[in-house]
Amino acid sequence: MSDIVWLFIAFLAVWVGLGIYLFSLGTRQKRLERRLEDIEPRS
Amino acid sequence: MGGQLQRIFYFHVPAAWAAYLAFAIVFLGSIAYLRTGARRWDLLAHSAAEIGVVFTTLVLITGPIWARPVWGTWWQWDARLTSSLVMWLTYVGYLLLRGLSSDPNRTGRLAAVVGILGFINVPIVHFSVQWWRTLHPQGPTPASLDQGSGLGSPELLAFFVSLAAFTLLFAWLMATRISLGRLNDRVDQLEMAS
Repeated sequence: MSDIVWLFIAFLAVWVGLGIYLFSLGTRQKRLERRLEDIEPRS
Repeated sequence: MGGQLQRIFYFHVPAAWAAYLAFAIVFLGSIAYLRTGARRWDLLAHSAAEIGVVFTTLVLITGPIWARPVWGTWWQWDARLTSSLVMWLTYVGYLLLRGLSSDPNRTGRLAAVVGILGFINVPIVHFSVQWWRTLHPQGPTPASLDQGSGLGSPELLAFFVSLAAFTLLFAWLMATRISLGRLNDRVDQLEMAS
């Protein structure tokens, strides 16, 4: 494989890695907001 | 390092820098938590550990991608690579530890001890290329930059822009993760009260 392909793979890995982490943060936030909505009408 | 492939350096090294920064914050936050018992320090340390693991994972992925075409192998058990893997495992352990107990104070104290002891490895990772014979490139130091490290000014400029971008990304991720932790605390408190 040429150098540019290896560079592209590394570049992609960085974006995919950061993307997965951001997605996990977003998912956790949505889950917490749903729990908050469930609690707040009660309190 | 040569050709296009050396450009991996522009995100491999800044990701390592962001991980060092994160683990230094874990260390300081853990000390502050043990001294004061204030939840905000525990949340700071926990958030920094999580983001540090993300950046170390990126380092451990991009490094072998560079090594495969240059060294002809994905991995070598040399000092830098092995100590980096140990650093990653230490902080993954730190994160796993937090799920072990339902008592947040006990978990926080235990995690803080790991956060302090785990930081011992961070300078070992950094100086491993100077202390032991390794395959890993040394990277520019202030002295080598003075003598001409092989990096020309456009490369140096690109490197420092990348370093600044990763530092800003780290700061933004920290702010986001801390606000998520605060929301989590609020939901837990409301659930206990209701």
